[in-house]
Amino acid sequence: MINRFFPRGGLASGKSVLWVCFAAAVLALSGCGKDEADTASSQAVDTEGKSAAQVAVEAAKPLCEGGKTITIVWEAGLQSLDPLNFSGPKWEAETGCKVKVVEVPVAEMFTKIMQEYRANTGAYDALNVIPAWMPDLAQAGALEQLDSYVDKYGYRGELQTIAATYRDNQMTVDGKIYGFPDDGDVFLMYYRKDIFAREDLQKAYKEKFGRDLEVPTTWPQFIEVGQFLTDALKSEGIYGAAMFREPGYGNFMFQERFRNEGGKFFDADMKATVNGPEGLKVFQDWLTENKFMPAGVEKFGFVENLAVFLKGESAMTISWPPYGRFAAGYLADEEALSWVPKSQIADKVGYALPPGGHPELAAGFALSVASTSKNKEAAYLFIQWLNSEEISNERVQLPYALRDPFRDSHFTNEGYIALWPDAKDYLAALGDAAQTGLLDLSLIQTDKYEEALRQGISRLWAGDDPQQILDKIAADWDAVTEQVGVDKQRAVYESWASKSGAYPG
Amino acid sequence: MSAAGTIKKPQLAEQGFKYQLIAPSIFVLLLIGIFPLVYLLIVSFQGITMMDNDTSFHGLRNYAALFGDTRLWEALLHTLLFTAIALPLELILGLLMAQLFIDHLPGRQVFVALLVLPVVIAPIVSGATWSLMFDNRFGPINQIIGWLTGEEATLLWTISPDLVYPAILVAEIWQWTPFMFLLLLAALSGVDKSQLEAASIDGAGYWRIFFRIVLPAIWPVMAVAILIRGLDLFRLFDIVWALTRGGPGTMTETISIFTYVKGFQQFETSYTAAVALIIIILLSLVVFLALRRVGLSR
Repeated sequence: MINRFFPRGGLASGKSVLWVCFAAAVLALSGCGKDEADTASSQAVDTEGKSAAQVAVEAAKPLCEGGKTITIVWEAGLQSLDPLNFSGPKWEAETGCKVKVVEVPVAEMFTKIMQEYRANTGAYDALNVIPAWMPDLAQAGALEQLDSYVDKYGYRGELQTIAATYRDNQMTVDGKIYGFPDDGDVFLMYYRKDIFAREDLQKAYKEKFGRDLEVPTTWPQFIEVGQFLTDALKSEGIYGAAMFREPGYGNFMFQERFRNEGGKFFDADMKATVNGPEGLKVFQDWLTENKFMPAGVEKFGFVENLAVFLKGESAMTISWPPYGRFAAGYLADEEALSWVPKSQIADKVGYALPPGGHPELAAGFALSVASTSKNKEAAYLFIQWLNSEEISNERVQLPYALRDPFRDSHFTNEGYIALWPDAKDYLAALGDAAQTGLLDLSLIQTDKYEEALRQGISRLWAGDDPQQILDKIAADWDAVTEQVGVDKQRAVYESWASKSGAYPG
Repeated sequence: MSAAGTIKKPQLAEQGFKYQLIAPSIFVLLLIGIFPLVYLLIVSFQGITMMDNDTSFHGLRNYAALFGDTRLWEALLHTLLFTAIALPLELILGLLMAQLFIDHLPGRQVFVALLVLPVVIAPIVSGATWSLMFDNRFGPINQIIGWLTGEEATLLWTISPDLVYPAILVAEIWQWTPFMFLLLLAALSGVDKSQLEAASIDGAGYWRIFFRIVLPAIWPVMAVAILIRGLDLFRLFDIVWALTRGGPGTMTETISIFTYVKGFQQFETSYTAAVALIIIILLSLVVFLALRRVGLSR
């Protein structure tokens, strides 16, 4: 009965086929298929001697005549101040196209994009997409494949100057371009140079451990140094370290650390192996570390951890690049950042790779075009312009926005280096991280795997047994793999695992 | 015979006219009430997921999967637990407050208005506010406990398995007890005072008067209040989402959160439709039985 109303694979009868052909012919004649024509034609435009930004502006001008509006999905909050205050008005001034920004909290972005795609309203033209979602969104059909546009507008050259980790890992699905890496979201370690330089601490550490007090490069060293600093400085209100522990953030921390410990997510049979000794070591180390971190660290997210660090209450932390800028204190008068606690540690912060040397490329954003857009060409040109050398170098320096350096030229930008005294070191550390960063796990239905991990981390803080938690996570992962199809998922995993940023080399 | 016929014809015409008048309303009601239900039913027999827009007939596959899904039944159990604890507490507290305010105290109207404030706050805002209240570092609750105990309180209200249920229940009861209070205050105001005076003169005690006169008088309103709140609690989402997101693990996951996660984060569309349909059937049954029990269906 239901089958009659919802036939599988389309309309089967000969009569129906005739009707479909007739309807298609009518649509074609009446121009209703115009949206389809809005994909890139194969004819390349003349880009000789022009930057990618110039090419995009010139090509967009005729498309924007009459005041076209490009609607772009952007993370709500500080992130969206970029298109609202800077890039949106600038694009409109240069091309005539207005930019409408749909602000969506990051936790809801995937849902909103998928809902809109399913509803097929054409409400979104361009998208900010977390690269780990790309296989899901591309396979669902929500993202427009961009290769033909890239070739038409001669953008491949400038794509090559995106830092290798992002370019090679966050741009393609099955070798096809679905987004431009646009945010160098990588974890860095921030530490207090003044504390590590204190003579009394140096002396005490050497007496106790027989070596110099240095910024840790391995996790055992981190635990040793963190405990030592807490013991020595707690009376001054300073802890050895504080860290993200809230499960949403812990998900990234686990993925990074698990692989730095030598762990692999799946074996050759696509069975989850997160419950192996590496996973157990990470969980057990976390419990050990929490003892020398501030009380309630289990709830620390971005803001809690930031507040503790900026107030000078922790000697080390690991986080995304904005911590370095906020800590430098040069943004103190920026109205949009009034919620950021005043930095008590300006000029005292050092930057390093996290222990293990392979930081997580945690989340980040790529710019994509929605497959349901009615303005695909204009949307593409807008994201090419945003992502170009010229414009991205301006965007990563916006004081209020959160786009982090992601092109080779960003790390040596003279204007950026002049922003605060240690900016050169900061950019150098980000440049190093861009060489060795580790990708977020990205599979079909990634969120289901991440959800199991998040739930496991919350159970760890609730006091459950680490091995049992990991076994449950592994069982949940296996169930998701079975549901997706082992062979299908294995193909996606192997494609992901073959990328340079999947596992430490 | 012909006289009877002439009387009947205008009556029928009149009735037909009445039906024509209400037909648009009925049509709209059916459209917004029945169509989604039918659509839900159809989708629940299909295989639509994030990756596959498979609209072919899948039989009872989703329903079979549903019965084997322990997470779903755990979520249902958590929901029933919240309902079983919060509903009686809200009822008792609401009734006590209504009893207190039935007398014309000075400033009564101001107090009533203030007490009703939590009800007008959006539940997600209430949840976010309580999340701040329970914050282990900056929240006033730990601060107050610290003052009382004389040492720093580091209770993790939204993480510790022993504290998450009390935290959620406190927030829930704080927000919705005033709703009970308002309805019961209105019901108590309608109790015939002469009956109370007569019973009192006849020597009946407080409890006897309450159980024999007051309770039967306010029962219809109380029953509706219980029903409304019971259904609301069954749909409990915002406060739990804001406080724990269903954690630790899935320890506080309610049926609404489960449905949201499956439907809108993981896009298990057809499976979620099956879950939703089962819940609708269960709730409809409960409402039907409850209405019959309290005699409101007549």
